[in-house]
Amino acid sequence: MFDPSTETIERDDFCSLAPIGWLHHKMQDSFFLVVGTHSCQGFLQTALGVMIFAKPRFATAVLDEDDLSGRDTLEAVQPLVEAIVAEHRPAAIFLGSTCTPEILKMNVAGCAKPLEALTGVRMYPCRLDGFDPAYTQGEDHVLAAMIERCPTTDAQNIVILGCLSAIEEAEMRLECAAMGLPEPAFLPAESALDLPPIGPNTVLAAVHPYLYGSVSYAQRERGCAIHQTVFPYGPDGTRAFFETLAAAFGKTISYAERERAAWTSCERDVAVLRGRSVSFVSDTLLELPLARTLRAAGMTVKAVGTPNIYRKFHARERAALEGIDVYERPDRFEMFARLDANRPDLVVANLNIANALEGQGFNVKWATELTFQPVHGFNGAPALLGMFAASMRRHDALARTRDRSQTAATPIDLSFFREPARA
Amino acid sequence: MKLAVWSYLSPAHVGATKAASSFNGVHTIVRAPKGDGYGTIMLAMFERLGVSPPLTISALTEATLAGDRADIGRMIADVDQRLHPEMIVITRSATASVLQEPLDGEIAMIPPGTIAAEIFQPSVHPLRDNEITAFAKTVAEIVDHFAQDGIARTPEPSVNIIGPALLGFHDHSNVVALRRLFADLGVRVNAVVPLGASPDQLRALGSAWLNVSTSRELALPTMQKLHSRFGTPFIEDVPYGEAGTTRFLRELSRLLELPSDRITAASREAKLLWYSRTVDAHALSGKRVGVFGMPSAVAGIARVLHDELDMHVEFAGTFSLDDGDWLREQLRDLTDDVLVTDDYQDVANKIDATRPDIMFGSQMERHSASRFGVPCAVISSPCHILNFPLGHAPFLGYEGANHIGDVVNQTQVLGLEHHLIETFGPRGQGRFAEAAPEGAAEPAAPVSTDLSWDETAEKLMGRIPFFVRKKARANVEKYAREQRIATIDESVVLAARQHVGG
Repeated sequence: MFDPSTETIERDDFCSLAPIGWLHHKMQDSFFLVVGTHSCQGFLQTALGVMIFAKPRFATAVLDEDDLSGRDTLEAVQPLVEAIVAEHRPAAIFLGSTCTPEILKMNVAGCAKPLEALTGVRMYPCRLDGFDPAYTQGEDHVLAAMIERCPTTDAQNIVILGCLSAIEEAEMRLECAAMGLPEPAFLPAESALDLPPIGPNTVLAAVHPYLYGSVSYAQRERGCAIHQTVFPYGPDGTRAFFETLAAAFGKTISYAERERAAWTSCERDVAVLRGRSVSFVSDTLLELPLARTLRAAGMTVKAVGTPNIYRKFHARERAALEGIDVYERPDRFEMFARLDANRPDLVVANLNIANALEGQGFNVKWATELTFQPVHGFNGAPALLGMFAASMRRHDALARTRDRSQTAATPIDLSFFREPARA
Repeated sequence: MKLAVWSYLSPAHVGATKAASSFNGVHTIVRAPKGDGYGTIMLAMFERLGVSPPLTISALTEATLAGDRADIGRMIADVDQRLHPEMIVITRSATASVLQEPLDGEIAMIPPGTIAAEIFQPSVHPLRDNEITAFAKTVAEIVDHFAQDGIARTPEPSVNIIGPALLGFHDHSNVVALRRLFADLGVRVNAVVPLGASPDQLRALGSAWLNVSTSRELALPTMQKLHSRFGTPFIEDVPYGEAGTTRFLRELSRLLELPSDRITAASREAKLLWYSRTVDAHALSGKRVGVFGMPSAVAGIARVLHDELDMHVEFAGTFSLDDGDWLREQLRDLTDDVLVTDDYQDVANKIDATRPDIMFGSQMERHSASRFGVPCAVISSPCHILNFPLGHAPFLGYEGANHIGDVVNQTQVLGLEHHLIETFGPRGQGRFAEAAPEGAAEPAAPVSTDLSWDETAEKLMGRIPFFVRKKARANVEKYAREQRIATIDESVVLAARQHVGG
């Protein structure tokens, strides 16, 4: 086993409020109320701003100086919640507590019960703060809050945990039927009130690597079995995911043929990727599974940075990357130095540094997109590998144009940033 | 608590960061939760920087809450040793300020002589300042810190241009346009502040004969400071429009004692007033316009539209509450209807109630106006990446006047955007794109007699974003025919997607 080196915290990052973007779209009857500062509102505006005109089902309760100096939280938040209920009629409100309430020890979660009693609208209190290793973990907190309200059961059932699109869910459903397994339930579903029963005989299968918290919560509180495997990204991951799921029900099923067929359907894209090299910059927590499937597609993985490794939850993914340098919480400067040394053909990176890396001659695929595109399963594999291949093709095509015309793509002239003012 | 969905101005730390990051040789460390650093993304994306912005987030973590100290000293040392800035600016977001960390104490503990950069904390209040005041203060204080006394005046007439910055509205183009303009007049540009100003240039700011700005509200504290330190006169008016630029240059010539024929030579570029005389522009007379945005931009653009194009200013306004009175005074002879509000809904309601022929505003007015079928030109921050053009598109000086003419021209004929919004609706795209908004035309399903779709397949297709549904349907049917499948169910839809890819 390799030893992932843990570096410092100087890095570029996004906020855990970001998952509200895909969660509020998935749960059509939900509303997300974020208790936080003007910065939280600014973040939501910047990150999700395009949706502002459809009467967005998210808003920020911006704290003022009264709130900071100890005003009663329930008293402050109640009129806002009543206004939201009157205007939007949501079936459920996610009451998000951000960094500042956390620092002030404001009891935002404690408002949920009285507000629910008062309005008759389901309240899910959840932490949506920036203290998690990765911004995708906002979804983890939302799902944990929902698991708390799931009914219990003794029945043997499957709950697929993690926000998926209808087409990804359809594949999960059809595969379970084909394997003779119980029909899976999904959390979240299209309604925020649609909660699957979870009990000691439930097989809880997380489809995203950033759901450690909700999975451990369910295990602790409900004693359910954890589907311990790789995540269903790429033909290889999907095969292992389904085979392990069948094994949980005592069935031995080989999906070797399915995996082969899926690779065949990806061949057009795999042909572009095969033999090229890739590095991952720490970002979404998807780095381990993506590196695993790109390696299976024939790419050389030079180095992987990831915000955090959950030793047990990510064990299979880690094992699949044996022999590859993996860096937990990489330092920005060290990361740049490594990229310089490795000069990979493709860098998977976040938006903050994508342009800076392009400016240094790297080919970048920005990764945030992968969190909200339907890329799971055999069915999503061509889309998943296609995104990397499309990026590679584009970079290849532009490089040919530059070579043929002998024209360099010079970054916009802000050269005063390049040179240190001091010798 | 106040419910907020959208706001014109960013929080104070973003204003301070925009200002400090724009200097050359200054690195900013923002003490904040990681998400408060979203300004970094805006910098990197909108400005299309080919390098990392000179900006580092010192992130609050779980450990901070448990009582760990910020260890800002280590981060300062790191930035100092790796990036060699001349100054390191430390600023905090509102959240970090609530924590009341003893950053000053930590900074004081840094062993003397170990850090080559100067460490500077602007006096920005994370809650009471806003983006504009925090920006203006930060620039003024950094300028005051570096500017040296006893610097001789430049031999030739010279100006400092105060206000342009990263993420500023068309600031790169404005700086180029103003540099050309001053070159035509034989006036040297001593420094542009903060955009690209190096510590050496800042030390010599006192050598300029005059200070001018691209935005009064962003530059005034700096110009006042330089006036009090060096007695340098300054011009508050910003050169918008052809007549406006000539007025500005006349004042400039008076203060710099330039011969007046130089203005005539410089104005040879200007075409706006001639355009306004041409038959093509006659239809602009009396057209009703609304103007809303940053105070200087609104004052400047409203006057151009009224004085130079003979349009009628139906209403004007700003979201900078501090500048409402100033703006009213500026527009006294143009309109009584000056709206001062930071609530975008108030502006949308105003557009709805007055239905101007053309709206001039920020990105938000562009969205609001399109809901009412009113064409809108963006003339002010906050703006989207569309207003970081690759080409030269200034709003100031004679070249800027020409560009404003083009903008008016293009905006009034462009009905296309309205049409697109009607067709595609306001909803976001992507994985969970919803069904077509009310009133939008559903693409018709192709009539296929040889194939039937069962309920499961129809349901799944219903969840596919409506704008790709027609193409997806055709792909599925093509696949079904190839595979000789007569009845399409959801498994066929899935197989087709995997077959086609994407």
